Amino acid sequence: MASSLAVDLHKVSKFVNLSIPVCFLLFFAAGIYISFYFHFLSVAFLFLTLVNIFYQHIQNDHTLLKNFGLLGQGRYLLESIGPELRQYLFASDEEEKPFNRLERSEVYRKAKNVDSASSFGSQMLFDTSEMKVRHSMFPTPKEKLKAFSVTYGEERGIETAYTIRRPIMISAMSYGALGAHAVRSLARGAKLAGIPMNTGEGGYPKYHLMEGCDLIFQMGTAKFGVRTPEGLLDDDKLKEIADKPEVKMIEIKFSQGAKPGKGGLLPKEKITDEIAELRNVQKDADIVSPPFHPECDTVENTVKFIERVQQLSGLPVGFKFCVGNIKEFENLVIEMKQQDVFPDFITVDGAEGGTGAAPKSFLDGVGVPLAAGLYAVNACLEKHGVRDRLKINASGKLVSPVRQLMAMALGADAIYTARGFMLSLGCIQALQCGNNTCPIGITTHNPELQRGLVIDGRAPRVANYVNSVEHDLEELLRATGCAHFSELTEANLYIPPNTLVRDPQLKEVLAVS
Amino acid sequence: MYKKIISWILQLVVVVILGQTLFYKFTDSPETVELFAQLGMGAFGYKLIGLLELIACVLLLMPASVATGALLGWGLMTGAIFAHVTEIGFEGETGVLGSMAIIAWLCCIVIMYLNRTDLPILRTVFKKHKSELNS
Repeated sequence: MASSLAVDLHKVSKFVNLSIPVCFLLFFAAGIYISFYFHFLSVAFLFLTLVNIFYQHIQNDHTLLKNFGLLGQGRYLLESIGPELRQYLFASDEEEKPFNRLERSEVYRKAKNVDSASSFGSQMLFDTSEMKVRHSMFPTPKEKLKAFSVTYGEERGIETAYTIRRPIMISAMSYGALGAHAVRSLARGAKLAGIPMNTGEGGYPKYHLMEGCDLIFQMGTAKFGVRTPEGLLDDDKLKEIADKPEVKMIEIKFSQGAKPGKGGLLPKEKITDEIAELRNVQKDADIVSPPFHPECDTVENTVKFIERVQQLSGLPVGFKFCVGNIKEFENLVIEMKQQDVFPDFITVDGAEGGTGAAPKSFLDGVGVPLAAGLYAVNACLEKHGVRDRLKINASGKLVSPVRQLMAMALGADAIYTARGFMLSLGCIQALQCGNNTCPIGITTHNPELQRGLVIDGRAPRVANYVNSVEHDLEELLRATGCAHFSELTEANLYIPPNTLVRDPQLKEVLAVS
Repeated sequence: MYKKIISWILQLVVVVILGQTLFYKFTDSPETVELFAQLGMGAFGYKLIGLLELIACVLLLMPASVATGALLGWGLMTGAIFAHVTEIGFEGETGVLGSMAIIAWLCCIVIMYLNRTDLPILRTVFKKHKSELNS
């Protein structure tokens, strides 16, 4: 190695560090003896010399700058544009996370109403380790397909029971996580498409209400918008929100996939005066919600709390959670049976997170993944004979129709997606959601960045996405030979051996009957 | 807060010192012509410097670019000090101009220090940026 031609960056940097002051002296001399104009250069090199002395001998924070001087900045410079370079030039179509280019462009094409057929084989790593949909030899003819319809609250026979006629809904994204333009584009798109939108736990849904679409009000663990100063439920505020004609259902958030076992988090960079007011909190610190509802400290109290919200609001009420301990969930189901109180729906969230900022360990390592969690919840409810008392929604990376269909086969009645709709708005996956610097203007409150997100232009894309997804879902459903999504079961899926029931806890829960 | 006030006072000092010479430079006043002739610079030279001084003044007056303006001002004043040290000297009236340059030069250093987290090349050292914490 020593004899071969190689760049020794340390030697190069030593040479550069020596030549900068030498250049200064040379230009200074030239300024005196040749022309005063040389002092433009001598001043510049004096500055570089001083900066270099500072890097190498004064500051102690950056080892690289201390050892290499100015050249060390090259690394920081290149590193800062690394993500862009990789995305534009070097990353292959299926390697980016969380959504690779193939998955993203499928959504883009749907949002722009462009045909998404492609040729010459799947681009996926196609092997037997993935779930697939089993098609039937006798697909359903188009005219035999039954119209999609799910009614929340029909089990309790309440007047306010809410029926959705399209299988997907916009999942929880608060004003706060999203900027005003993004919220209004989604809300207007939801109105166009005739689907409901979840408000997220962002307090009073001022911007969600502006476009007149149906809303599912989400109550987080901090109960923004409906809280007493102590963080408990304020009955009057809840009634006031439930009385709005746009608000059709209430969702109590127990946990979310990004950070199960921990409360929501809004970084202080994103808190404006308005957000602080809508949520009724301080402006100068990160907003950290408690990890659970103070009212729900036992299974008994949890069921009572659900009943209380049902009675206060008079609306269909459900809860959202990311599956953790299945035995705990089973105890909750037993308690529901005991009190004969059931939520109108349960939203099962996958475990890998979405827009929301979350501690990395929680994002990466906590919670049961969607397929296994959803399967467990469905199986547990069926085991206790109460599956017909409520509906199940699924959420968690369900941006493509085939994954949505799989979730339905695993037990979901309807599908929630948040990032799918963000992609339909034009999200480029810059991964800046928590920094208030979203280049597309979706997850930022900076007016200059939101300028590009024109509500009129974006809302139709949201509706297009819904139309295309629904179209593909119906095609898939027909291929399975079923006439309605509720007929789908796990028998319609090819599930690689031992993937779902491998969880010993679930095995145990299902075995004891 | 008091840092901001000090910074603004110094910014105004620099703007006044740089700004009051602009009139003479752009009107080809005999004093300017004579002064720059000593450096071997003609109308192009002092008008170029005048333009850069004007830019520095504007940058110093806009909150987003104070640090950059101070850096430019520092460079121009360093050049002016070079001129006084090597060619013009500090006698008589030129001595007043020279001391003004030194005052503005010092002000620029203090302004840069007070706004150090905005200086492009030094920001990495003074400010721990989020993306950097990850790397």
